[in-house]
Amino acid sequence: MKKLRILLADDHIVMRSGLRALLDRQPNLEVVGESENGRETVALAASLKPDVVVMDVGMPILNGIEATQTIVTQCPTIAVVILSMHADESYVMRALKAGARGYLLKDSAAADLIGAIQAISQGKSFFSPKVSRILAEDYVRVLKQKGAVDTYDLLTSREREILQLLAEGKSNKEVATALNISPYTVETHRSHILQKLNLHNSAELVLYAVRKGIIS
Amino acid sequence: MTEKKLDTLVASPFQGRRQFGSRAALFAGFGTLLILMAIISIDSLYTLEAFETHNTQIRQDLLYREHTLEQVRTSVYESGDIMSDYTVIESDLHTRERLRTEFQSIHSETTALLKACIQSLPTDKRDSFQHLGEELERYWSRADPIFALRATEKKGLGHSALRSDVLSQYAEVLAITKEISAVNDDELKEADRRISETFAQFRRRLLMLAVIGFSFGLILATTTIVYAGRLEKRVEDKYEESLQAQRELKQLSKRLVEAEERERRAISRELHDEVGQCLSALLIDVDNLTEMSSEEGAFRQGLQKIKTLAENCVNEVRNMALLLRPSMLDDLGLVAALDWQAREVSKRTSMLVDTVDENVSENLPEEYKTCVYRIVQEALNNCSKHAYAKNVRVVVRQEPNYLRVSIEDDGKGFDASRVRGLGLVGMNERVSQLGGVLKVESDPARGTRLRVDLPLPNPSDDSGELSS
Repeated sequence: MKKLRILLADDHIVMRSGLRALLDRQPNLEVVGESENGRETVALAASLKPDVVVMDVGMPILNGIEATQTIVTQCPTIAVVILSMHADESYVMRALKAGARGYLLKDSAAADLIGAIQAISQGKSFFSPKVSRILAEDYVRVLKQKGAVDTYDLLTSREREILQLLAEGKSNKEVATALNISPYTVETHRSHILQKLNLHNSAELVLYAVRKGIIS
Repeated sequence: MTEKKLDTLVASPFQGRRQFGSRAALFAGFGTLLILMAIISIDSLYTLEAFETHNTQIRQDLLYREHTLEQVRTSVYESGDIMSDYTVIESDLHTRERLRTEFQSIHSETTALLKACIQSLPTDKRDSFQHLGEELERYWSRADPIFALRATEKKGLGHSALRSDVLSQYAEVLAITKEISAVNDDELKEADRRISETFAQFRRRLLMLAVIGFSFGLILATTTIVYAGRLEKRVEDKYEESLQAQRELKQLSKRLVEAEERERRAISRELHDEVGQCLSALLIDVDNLTEMSSEEGAFRQGLQKIKTLAENCVNEVRNMALLLRPSMLDDLGLVAALDWQAREVSKRTSMLVDTVDENVSENLPEEYKTCVYRIVQEALNNCSKHAYAKNVRVVVRQEPNYLRVSIEDDGKGFDASRVRGLGLVGMNERVSQLGGVLKVESDPARGTRLRVDLPLPNPSDDSGELSS
């Protein structure tokens, strides 16, 4: 089986070497490059064409989120997983908007990184369990405080099914194939889902799914 | 500048005394001027009055003398007539007796009149009148023989001789009266001359006093103007100084705020990036070790313990760093930071914080982000601490040339016109540093609404690279 090629971006040498030690022990993974700032990462991603970029958020010159946006725009096949210190949804949201497929907390990187790399390289989304938990808790708490109705209840079972598939990172076409329906039908369902849940884009949809614990 | 301030501080009591001294001098000056003017007026009035009295006196005296002379002349004429009549009338004893009596009465009246006049005269002017008196006396005495003549004798020889004798004396007396009249006229002229002389003198004195008064007034006015000018200058200097001090204070407070923010960010970054990352790396290494080791039991347990400790440390450090200054503010911008804050406050307190952002740029200048963030932070703090609010709504809206922030709560409110806590003062300070306006509307039982308008530096650069 072909090894997954990985680019490691973090401005902290200690962090990089720790991650590298972790990844090097995996037989099916190969670290093809390391970078210590956003701009270098963008350049290396363009030249090395790795399968996965492991991206730190706080980096000099160009931060990880902006670098992610550039890389994903330039080369959509590269999957980016964000490594962050923050479990806060504003970071998660921004990472998703920038096009990252995975969001990991640094303190649980050792446990989750391997799984995350494998998931996102297959086109799925991945979030640290702690992040999912915090987002879900926040969501429930706000609903409670506001005394609002959970909009999830408004969705039909078909829509829920499609929501999950979309949130996992599947394209309209893939969903259509999986459910044996037309891609246009998927698109219609998708826009209904966004409308009912008061969401505006795929990133928000993914975030919603994480909050609801639909994906993790 | 500090030295200068110290100078003025030290100098002020002396300055106060000097000021008091010059004020006293001014009072004295104006007082003297008033007294001088009063003296001039009183003196002039007095002189004029004295002069008038003197003038009247002289004229009355002269008139009196002239009158007396006139009287004397009349008497002489009348007595001459009587004498003629007497010599002409031959019989009628009775008529002759009457004429003699008449003559006698004229004689005595005139003598008395002249005597009174001489008495009223000063001694040095008596001579001419005394001479007149003597001549008059001689005239009377010449007349006596005429009345002594018998009727028969009258037509005789002695008659014409006597008559010519009396007539010559008669002429003599009239001549003297004319002389005296002339002298009187001279005296009147002399008096007139003296009057005009006195007037001239008076005019000179008045002129001199006026000149003195005017000069004094001029000096006083000049002094006053100079003094007032100096005072004005000093007030201006003081005003300028206080303005300068105000500017410096403002500058200082701005720098303080900036320094505080800078320090916070530095410490936050240090904690987050250095300590936090090291701990995270430590965690990964511990995991790596755990993976690699084939041992079981105590060693693994030890590693697990280290891992738990390190995880706690990471959480602690992250919270500390966020508390000092949320990294979202620098990494993700104002809106993300406000959202995070709202979530954190909602989590910590019983308040539900809702944030709404309209059109807010991610590239707001650093000081605007910080300002708005800190104001919202302080406001939320107030809402939960003092207002016991249940719901708070934070709205940030960006317009082409200003940024508007409003924070509304449904708490118990307060009297905004009276209460002004330190928190509000601090907010106001931050806002005014950016040239903005902060308004607080609050009524007890109606909640509080805080509104901030910040002018944006460059409207056209709205979406540009402001965050460099």
